[in-house]
Amino acid sequence: MSDIQTTIIDFIKENFIMGRSDTKIDAEESLIESGIMDSTGVLELVEFLESTFNIQVEDEELVPENLETIKNIIEFLKTKGVS
Amino acid sequence: MAELVHHFLETSAGKAAGKTALLNGENTSTYQEIESLADKVSSLLLDSGLSKGDRVLMIMENSLESVASYYGILKAGCVCVEVPDKSTLSEAAYFIENSGARMCILSKGSARRLSDIDIEFVLSPEASFSRKNLTVYTWDDVYGRNDEPGRAQIKEDDLAAIVYTSGSTGRPKGVMLSHKNLCTNTASIVSYLGLTESDRIMAVLPFYYVYGKTLLNTHFMVGGSVVINNRFAFPNSVIKDMVDKEVTGFAGVPSTFAILLNRSIFAKTRIKTLRYVTQAGGAMAPALTRRLLEHIGSASLYIMYGATEASARLTYLPPQRLINDKLGSIGIPIPNVEISIRDNEGNQLAPFEVGNICATGDNIMQGYWQDKDETDKVLKPWGLVTGDLGHVDEEGFIYLTGRKKEMLKIGGERVSPKEIEDAITDSQMVHEVAVVGRADEFLSEVPDAFIVPLDDKSFELDSLKSFVKQKLSVHKQPKYWNILKSLPKKPSGKIDKGVLKQ
Repeated sequence: MSDIQTTIIDFIKENFIMGRSDTKIDAEESLIESGIMDSTGVLELVEFLESTFNIQVEDEELVPENLETIKNIIEFLKTKGVS
Repeated sequence: MAELVHHFLETSAGKAAGKTALLNGENTSTYQEIESLADKVSSLLLDSGLSKGDRVLMIMENSLESVASYYGILKAGCVCVEVPDKSTLSEAAYFIENSGARMCILSKGSARRLSDIDIEFVLSPEASFSRKNLTVYTWDDVYGRNDEPGRAQIKEDDLAAIVYTSGSTGRPKGVMLSHKNLCTNTASIVSYLGLTESDRIMAVLPFYYVYGKTLLNTHFMVGGSVVINNRFAFPNSVIKDMVDKEVTGFAGVPSTFAILLNRSIFAKTRIKTLRYVTQAGGAMAPALTRRLLEHIGSASLYIMYGATEASARLTYLPPQRLINDKLGSIGIPIPNVEISIRDNEGNQLAPFEVGNICATGDNIMQGYWQDKDETDKVLKPWGLVTGDLGHVDEEGFIYLTGRKKEMLKIGGERVSPKEIEDAITDSQMVHEVAVVGRADEFLSEVPDAFIVPLDDKSFELDSLKSFVKQKLSVHKQPKYWNILKSLPKKPSGKIDKGVLKQ
């Protein structure tokens, strides 16, 4: 697992699923449909990505293709020069 | 006017059987298809031995199945108890125990989370539950049935729904709404919004929430259509869906609009078919209202106010008056509702005098389920005491000035601080706790917890957070935690929450 993936999973665990032992994070599973994140959760995640990786996420980029799964987030970060 | 809530569906299926009633992603359903599925749900309930007045719990996200379940439960003469689809096992156990529900209908997500649920019957997409004494039906069992019309004799004064709302005493209370309550309120909303069969609403609000449910019932009453989109987590996909599916209406709570205006392509997108937007579920900051007006073009904006105890709606602000001179007001009573401002003894107050906002009308609830004491506190001879404070101006436009109860309003949903405090206290890790609301850009308010640990040395905040996360839904979990040596007190010894809020 890459450092970036670990950083993102740690953030999600810390902020959204801590203590819920029933929840596993699969890199390809939807973070929304699994109930891990809701609308404000996505915004918190974006703020975290912006500050941690020093990037700017445009409103147009707030789409499932970029943020729905851990895998999508990592691919999205690559397009921003983070890898 | 329809006398019973499920007549909305039955009448529209009779008039326009092949019309698209629901759109959800790539899927569409006609009135006839929903009517047929609702009949199957109804016959399953009655064949299982449920009878008129029995409560059926729904823990579902918005879907074709949730709509068919709602109307199917009502066709069977049963009472629909709809609760948040993200409810935890302990919350579900409370709803089952309190309502006495015999059956629970689940969707895919809630079925996975609630596999240890303890109830007589379950209808679920999946069949894997831990308890041996459950009778489990799957949706295949429903689809495989023959259509049979509902056999129950139902009157307009019969109970249709129990909707849980948090009270100042802690655990959620069940608001009892009759068919007449819901039908009256639905007809009033249809009238002031001028809804017709050409209307198509984008529903991102959950149907378990009374505001969300009005979207379904009003559009089914007029034979319009409802677009379901449960992915407001990605507002841009909702906006694209609104354009693609040519919606005429949109409904949101203040946090919905804060997200749309602050972090989406809403401001840059023109939704040509949009005729109107409604906002309820808490006071929206005037600055946000102005920005929303700027970005909806020629569409009308309806600011509205209501309460679960009033089936949903009590007042609306005519869009032209919002633009002209009444920004900040919650408007005038909707048809079939009367509003008055009164002191604690029930005496009516003059314009500009601040008092209790009280309401009468056929939409006012029957009372709280099995809770006469709480019912007596709010249902007075002069009407429902909403718990909100306000005044009217010289023209009768109503202005909210505050909330009497100390309820939090998180993302449009009322949450009792005591329920959160009780969950924290259950951990046996704290000596004292107090929860207050903290202003939040997106959710209006979020819980802010102040705790005094039982044992300073061994206390671990992470353990407490973990405990609370198992007990409460996400939105009820405190966003901020403050560890103190003691809590500020009033002379009476009660915790002084006023100091904590500063």
